[in-house]
Amino acid sequence: MPKKSPVFTTALPIVVALLVVSSLALGAEREEPLTIAVLPRALGNPIFLDAFEAAQKKAHELGVRLEWVAPFDFSSEAQVEMIENLIRRGVDGILASVNDDEAIHRVFQKARAQGIAVATFDGDSPGSGRLFHIGIDNYRAGYAIGQALVGVLQERGLAEKELDTMIMTGLREAFHHEERIRGFLAATEGQVNLKVRDIVENEDTVEKSIILLEDYVRHNPDIEVIFFVGGWPFYVPSEALPNFQRWAQAGGIAVGIDLFYDALLLQKEGLIQYLIGQDMSTMGSLGLELLVNYIRYGHVPPNFVEVGLEHANESNIDRLLEIHKPWLVK
Amino acid sequence: MHIKSLERFWSKLVKKAEIHTIRTKLIISFLIMALLPFSIMTLFSYNTYFRGLMYRVSEYSQEVVSRMARELDEYFLDIEALLTKEQDFYLDQLIKLVEGNDFNNRKYVFRIWEDLSNLQRVKPDVEELSIIFPNGNRLSSYGLYTVDYEAFLADYHRLARENGVAILGPYANFLNRIVVTMVKPYPAPTAQGEIYLSAEIDLARLASITDVKLGENGYMFVADDTGRIIYHPDGEQIGTLSPFFQNGVTQGFVDGFNGAGSDRYFLTTARSPITGWTVVSVADADELGAELRPIQRITYLVIAIILVAVVLLAGYLSHALSRPIKELQDLTNRAANNDLSVHIEPSGNDEIAQLGHSFNKMIRRIQDLMAENVKEQELLRKLELESLDNQIKPHFIYNTLDLIIGQLESNKTEEAAYLIEALGNFFRLSLSKGSETVPIASEVEHVRNYLFIQQLRHGGEYRYEIVIEDEEILSKYIPRLLLQPLVENAIYHGILRAGREGTITIRGRQEGDNVIFEVVDDGIGIEPSKLQDINEVLRGIRPLNNEREYFGLRNVNKRAQLRFGPEYGVVLESTLGEGTKAILTIKALEGEPHV
Repeated sequence: MPKKSPVFTTALPIVVALLVVSSLALGAEREEPLTIAVLPRALGNPIFLDAFEAAQKKAHELGVRLEWVAPFDFSSEAQVEMIENLIRRGVDGILASVNDDEAIHRVFQKARAQGIAVATFDGDSPGSGRLFHIGIDNYRAGYAIGQALVGVLQERGLAEKELDTMIMTGLREAFHHEERIRGFLAATEGQVNLKVRDIVENEDTVEKSIILLEDYVRHNPDIEVIFFVGGWPFYVPSEALPNFQRWAQAGGIAVGIDLFYDALLLQKEGLIQYLIGQDMSTMGSLGLELLVNYIRYGHVPPNFVEVGLEHANESNIDRLLEIHKPWLVK
Repeated sequence: MHIKSLERFWSKLVKKAEIHTIRTKLIISFLIMALLPFSIMTLFSYNTYFRGLMYRVSEYSQEVVSRMARELDEYFLDIEALLTKEQDFYLDQLIKLVEGNDFNNRKYVFRIWEDLSNLQRVKPDVEELSIIFPNGNRLSSYGLYTVDYEAFLADYHRLARENGVAILGPYANFLNRIVVTMVKPYPAPTAQGEIYLSAEIDLARLASITDVKLGENGYMFVADDTGRIIYHPDGEQIGTLSPFFQNGVTQGFVDGFNGAGSDRYFLTTARSPITGWTVVSVADADELGAELRPIQRITYLVIAIILVAVVLLAGYLSHALSRPIKELQDLTNRAANNDLSVHIEPSGNDEIAQLGHSFNKMIRRIQDLMAENVKEQELLRKLELESLDNQIKPHFIYNTLDLIIGQLESNKTEEAAYLIEALGNFFRLSLSKGSETVPIASEVEHVRNYLFIQQLRHGGEYRYEIVIEDEEILSKYIPRLLLQPLVENAIYHGILRAGREGTITIRGRQEGDNVIFEVVDDGIGIEPSKLQDINEVLRGIRPLNNEREYFGLRNVNKRAQLRFGPEYGVVLESTLGEGTKAILTIKALEGEPHV
């Protein structure tokens, strides 16, 4: 039996010890919580509050740091600037509701180049190279609300009548808004006779949407149908929308996407005929979880994770009012 | 030692620069007279203006920085008021939820975001308003994110003042904007620790407060009480130690001039008590000086113009003044070199013109005197010749020679030899080698020879004696042939006319500077009227009737007066029947024979 070298007998325990220490150190590094930044389109848009609460809960559950950052008012430039600084701060993942599809590409690529996992929720940017998108199929959502409108009009015997229509959207540049409009128009095409007179942009802000809506119906009382691509003006009680209230009471027909407590109240008052909502809570919690799993374990999620649609009509309005929580302190 | 060296240097300089000329002296004088007061006035005005400017700059800067310090105070007091919340319902509720890890917080979070957003609209310079929780969460107008709470706490406690307010920064915030942050504790601590309210202020606000243009290179900056720069127009300076901060015996920023050479600046400071910062205005000293440059340029231009004007004027005046003087100098030199034909043509009636007139007058006078002198010399020569001529009258020579022959025939050879010797001495001394003056001893010897000859000629009819009372006069000089005519007159007009033996006495003595000779005879004497007439002729009182009148006396008298002056000459004293005394007064001449 050959004699073992003294160098071998001395070095082996040292190497083993070093490996143990290294693995412990690596373990310690892994214990450092991940930082995941979630960017709604704007802090001041209450539609994201469901997602905010759900994301906080999920972050706590997963043991990650949640950074929920956005400009208070909608601003594509500010969103891009924030992502730039998140990259600088070295966050581990970014989940964003994209304001401007084009503008976001560069910073997403920059983030990915630095090893930051990037995904989208609600507002997608398909060409940006994001890991996945969680939300709804906006075209299908638009199509669904279009079909719902067709139902309402047929019910009222207005399917043949040419109806002056206004569409209120956030931004024409927003991919998901455009998809909703496209789906809406496809669903109503040939089914009813809508004449789209105006498409009004509210820059994705609640305050501006209220002002624009009130102003529009005062100056265009003969408008017959309004399609709300998002639920911006519905975050206020009906008293805050006197012109719209009068217009609706005079027979105006309104349908919209986004379903939340205050919108449901308006629907119950008869000011809105049909609402379709998206599950923002799931977007917040599942989106965060999928991102964390990808970062931690390398689990690659599907390119598109659909959260499904929720319909609000006369039959289920009371039940939905019990499920959805108000966001204002009353 | 140095003074002597300086003097030598000055002398050389003066010599080299020809300052000894009137022209140079005049130019230098004019220059000094014109430039010195002007230079003093200019210097005084410049200094007065510069001091005034510095005072105004200092006053203005002080007012500006004080106003800025007040604005800083007011602004940060506003911010402090913004952060002062005794109790906020939404925040209190949120704190409770955070403590219980309850995430159903949308109502309060959204309301707080709205509040923060509204406050930011009121205060657009506030970059971010936030609430910092002990768990490191920072709820702000940017949303919700985490910070290093321990590091924040350390900074806060290092800088917190008595009222609990601290101003941190400057540093890059969440959006990488350079801000300073005012922090104030919220008076509702949780079990986990303090909650803080903070307002991040964009440095653009400090820039707007300190936005005063101080020339091209001047600027304002803000520093804390350790000299660390809080705000500076040059962003790279922010956070560094100001080079103007003094950390020695004097601590802090010092008003006034700082630095040296091209990096010299004028500093004015004012402290903001609320922030503890110092607002510093930095004005480039060169630029301050630049305000004086137009004045400097004008001054230099005026000095140059005056200099040129003074040089031209000085040149003209010195030329105008020195030209006649120079001309006078040239003419004087010519006159000094025996050119008495010079004549100046004075222009104007100033002192130099008068000097020219005087010069001309002087030259004319010199010419007259020269002519007169020549005339007198000619007369003197003529009189000498006449005197000489008178001595070598033919019958004097024939008679003397006959006397010699007689004595030879009578075998009186010894007497004849004496006589020949005396006659030879007589003529030798008469000629005196052409000298104008001769020693008195020679003249006395000449007279003695003459008397010896005449005594032999006239058969011993008279005696003679020569008495020199002051022998020192023998070495003095006398115009030649002055005594002989007087002796001749004593023989022929005194002794011989008396028809009896007589005595001729010649006395010589010195009286002061004068030498007096008296030729006394005890002959016939002269009638008083004639004596008066003779003396009047000698004194020039009476004109001559003819040229031969009293020829011998006049010759002696005239020659004495021509040589020595009118107070000298011959005076006769006489008593009829008793004798005559001719008194010759001359000046005692010293030294060599005068030609």
